[in-house]
Amino acid sequence: MVYYEQMNAKPAPTGLAKLLYMHWPLMVLVVAVCCMGFVMLYSVAGGSLDPWARQQMTRFAIGLTVMFIVALTPLNFWKSMSIFAYLGALGLLVAVEFVGEVGKGAQRWIDLGFILLQPSEVMKVALVMVLAQYYAWLEPEKVSRPFWVLLPLALTAIPVALVLSQPDLGTAILLAAGGGVVMFLAGVSWWYFGPAILGAVGLVTAVMTSRGTEWQILKDYQYRRIETFLDPSLDPLGSGYHITQAKIAAGSGGISGRGLMEGTQSRLNFLPEKHTDFIFTILAEELGLIGGLSLLLLYTLIIVFCSVSAYRNRDRFGALLTGGLTATFFFFFVVNMAMVMGLAPVVGVPLPLVSYGGSAMLVLLGAFGLIQCAHVHRPRRGYQ
Amino acid sequence: MIRVPLRPLAKVIAAREMGENPDVAEAERRAAALRVRRVRERRRAEKRLILVACVVTLAFGWVGFRMGDLSFSGDGRVMSARASEVLRNARADIVDRNGEVLATNLNTSSLYVETRHMVDKDAVADGLAAIFPDLDRDTLRARFDAPGNLHWIKPQISPEQEQAVFDLGQPGIFFGSRQMRVYPNGQRLGPILGGTRYERADTTGAEIIGIAGLENGFEERLSDPARVDEPLVLSIDLRVQTAMRDVLAAEMERLDARAAAGILMDANTGEVISMVSLPDFDPNNRPGFGGYAGDSPLFNRASQGVYELGSTFKPFSAALAMEMGVATPETMIDTRGPLRWGRFSIGDVHRMDPQMSVADVIVQSSNVGTARLALMTGTEAQQDFLRAFGLMEPTGLELPEARLARPITPERWSDLSTMTISYGHGISVSPLHMAAAYATLTNGGLRVEPTLLAGAERPGEEARVISADTSAAIRTMLRRVVAEEAGTANFAEVPGYEVGGKTGSADKPSASGGYDRDKVIGTFAAVFPTSAPRYVLVVTLDEAKTFAYGRTWRTAGWTAAPASAKVIRRIVPILGMRPMPSAPPAPLVDVTLTGLR
Repeated sequence: MVYYEQMNAKPAPTGLAKLLYMHWPLMVLVVAVCCMGFVMLYSVAGGSLDPWARQQMTRFAIGLTVMFIVALTPLNFWKSMSIFAYLGALGLLVAVEFVGEVGKGAQRWIDLGFILLQPSEVMKVALVMVLAQYYAWLEPEKVSRPFWVLLPLALTAIPVALVLSQPDLGTAILLAAGGGVVMFLAGVSWWYFGPAILGAVGLVTAVMTSRGTEWQILKDYQYRRIETFLDPSLDPLGSGYHITQAKIAAGSGGISGRGLMEGTQSRLNFLPEKHTDFIFTILAEELGLIGGLSLLLLYTLIIVFCSVSAYRNRDRFGALLTGGLTATFFFFFVVNMAMVMGLAPVVGVPLPLVSYGGSAMLVLLGAFGLIQCAHVHRPRRGYQ
Repeated sequence: MIRVPLRPLAKVIAAREMGENPDVAEAERRAAALRVRRVRERRRAEKRLILVACVVTLAFGWVGFRMGDLSFSGDGRVMSARASEVLRNARADIVDRNGEVLATNLNTSSLYVETRHMVDKDAVADGLAAIFPDLDRDTLRARFDAPGNLHWIKPQISPEQEQAVFDLGQPGIFFGSRQMRVYPNGQRLGPILGGTRYERADTTGAEIIGIAGLENGFEERLSDPARVDEPLVLSIDLRVQTAMRDVLAAEMERLDARAAAGILMDANTGEVISMVSLPDFDPNNRPGFGGYAGDSPLFNRASQGVYELGSTFKPFSAALAMEMGVATPETMIDTRGPLRWGRFSIGDVHRMDPQMSVADVIVQSSNVGTARLALMTGTEAQQDFLRAFGLMEPTGLELPEARLARPITPERWSDLSTMTISYGHGISVSPLHMAAAYATLTNGGLRVEPTLLAGAERPGEEARVISADTSAAIRTMLRRVVAEEAGTANFAEVPGYEVGGKTGSADKPSASGGYDRDKVIGTFAAVFPTSAPRYVLVVTLDEAKTFAYGRTWRTAGWTAAPASAKVIRRIVPILGMRPMPSAPPAPLVDVTLTGLR
């Protein structure tokens, strides 16, 4: 009875002993990236903890606590919570339509009293959770059947549509990509992904042609950004300004950079959003190529460790959760990087763990808590 | 696919016979199937994870590559930003050969706001809208609430406006430094100077780059930080340029011409003293592109446009025949027409003697005579000869537009082409080509390269294209074209300046193919004084016409030739040339002939 022998699993760690089974190298990397963020925020403020670095550190402390709590909670709890997390986030997304704070031309924030929350951030994690739970529950043979594909598609499409209406193009792309990766990892047939990619291309066309008509999908400023992305020299003082200045900053850092607090592009206020979306340009200018590549290496290691953890994990929920969250993290990074380097339009995606911002920091650390949780509670085979 | 029965009958029966529970056998089979399925699912998931990892690796590699690319290679502009910190906004002046300023920089200010520092946004919007009537108050106010801190209001403002803004006394309004390129002579040098625009701009300044004309052709030189204090000296003479432009503009109107071009070149050095292309534009305020390119003021007719310049080519055919020794100016040529060649025939526009000397062929402009001359010299010699004069490649003029003027020659250079090209049809060159070639033809035979920079020297013997004797003989013929009753360019005579030249009237190619009889490009290529040539003048008028003696005249003798005379009359005092003692026209021919022989 080989089958029953396999179930003779080593008991999972319990209580505080779980701490020993956490993925500590990953933990160190995450903290290191955050520290790099503090240094940059300190430097952007001209060598001062205020107004950004101190608050970011406070949030980090809160986030780290959340991360440990999440990591030590049994994975089955989170598995059963998935659907509620999703519905809750969906509720918040709807709520933000009515009571949201308007920031920079978009309705994205909701005031919970103690924190200004961005529901779309929470949704990024909740969506991955609910899809992982769905596929853990679904029998593998059914994965590619149309009905069972439509369901997760709807789960993804609803929040994407809500986020687009805020409007927040960057987050919508991240959500769709995160959901797509979970479906891909769960084994949905290639036949669905081909048309999906075609559909995405069609959507882009629709977005571009809808400009000026009554059913215009994006805001005017987003169209302008896309246009100037395609040709930044069109309008170097207007929308192209972001990209041109960012490129100058990145280029002026050279190999070793100008040194902390020495960046002129940032110091002289040429750069917009320098402490949030465009913080990487400050890093590239002040720490140069060496600093940039170091950060890139840290991100790479984080993603490698997470991927290996997902690969080794024999629990379907745990593996999909880790894979999906890693992919979301990766998309965060890549979209931001492409935007900063002028390879993609400016869509407003922060650099994960480094950019100044409360919601994103908390949610990302929470997500790493989930990854740790899946790692700690992975099924262990008995010694044979 | 092998069908597995729901309850594997053989096993069940076997189990029954053995006295065991058949359900155990079935459970075992189910467990095995499940195991297989799980392994398969697992494998697929692993494969997909690896695929995703590959994509991730690629993306990271890409980002890393871009990072390195931006940091220490490629984008020269980015690197220059690193080197200088402040944008290059200095640019050297451009002056004419006498030191008159043609282009310079003015310090002005740009205007921007930083909403973060604003106290009263409404007051700022009200104030700015009052100072700049073209700004809308409400749009301005809305922009202050738009995302971002820094908003540009005006790229350039005058000192008075700056003071007015300053007097508002509102915080949050800032002035940036902004250099402005100014062309004090406006229209007069538009086609030569081209123009500039702003490239990169920020609050410390804006980079000025040349987009056309000399500003673009000498971009490196003008923006070179080491040489900004040293003006670029042109061969242009502003006074001559002004005079020529005024005369040609008036002639263009008098003759109802569509466009005009004029080039005055130093015959010995190739320096362009004046170059006019009409209609022209003010480089301080460049018009946009649009419409038919040939009608655009941005199109430089003197150096960029190529046209069939007609009979002005004839002297080259005569010179070639003399150089090859197949003819002298006195050799008699059969000029009976029409000359039939296959299904084509070449004729002359007016009656001529059945036989004429080579000199008379040029003076009276006989197509038939020139074509016969060309048959004597042959195709290859003609090609080499035209190439030696620079009529087969773009000129070396420093304007980016001039590099576009590649002469149009026949793809298949048949004997018929040789004949038509000998009198200037079937080959299109720019007026500038013609000016440089006439300089070479008449200055004693030394090839000159047209240039817009002052300080060119007369080329040495190594630049010889034709012998001094041939050159002198050609000058004599050109003088006779103007001075003799039978010549085609009597209207070009300016007493005392020994003007010699050749007219050329070419029918314009019509849109439907073939030639348009009513549309003529009239060209006059002149050299003066013919006894010791100093200047070459080429004047081209597009679709010029004049009414006299009861009919409309379109040939160059009636249009470009008198226009050239007016130009020469105006510019000789400026050039410091004194009239020579005049002699009666008829003996003058003999005197000149014997004098040069």
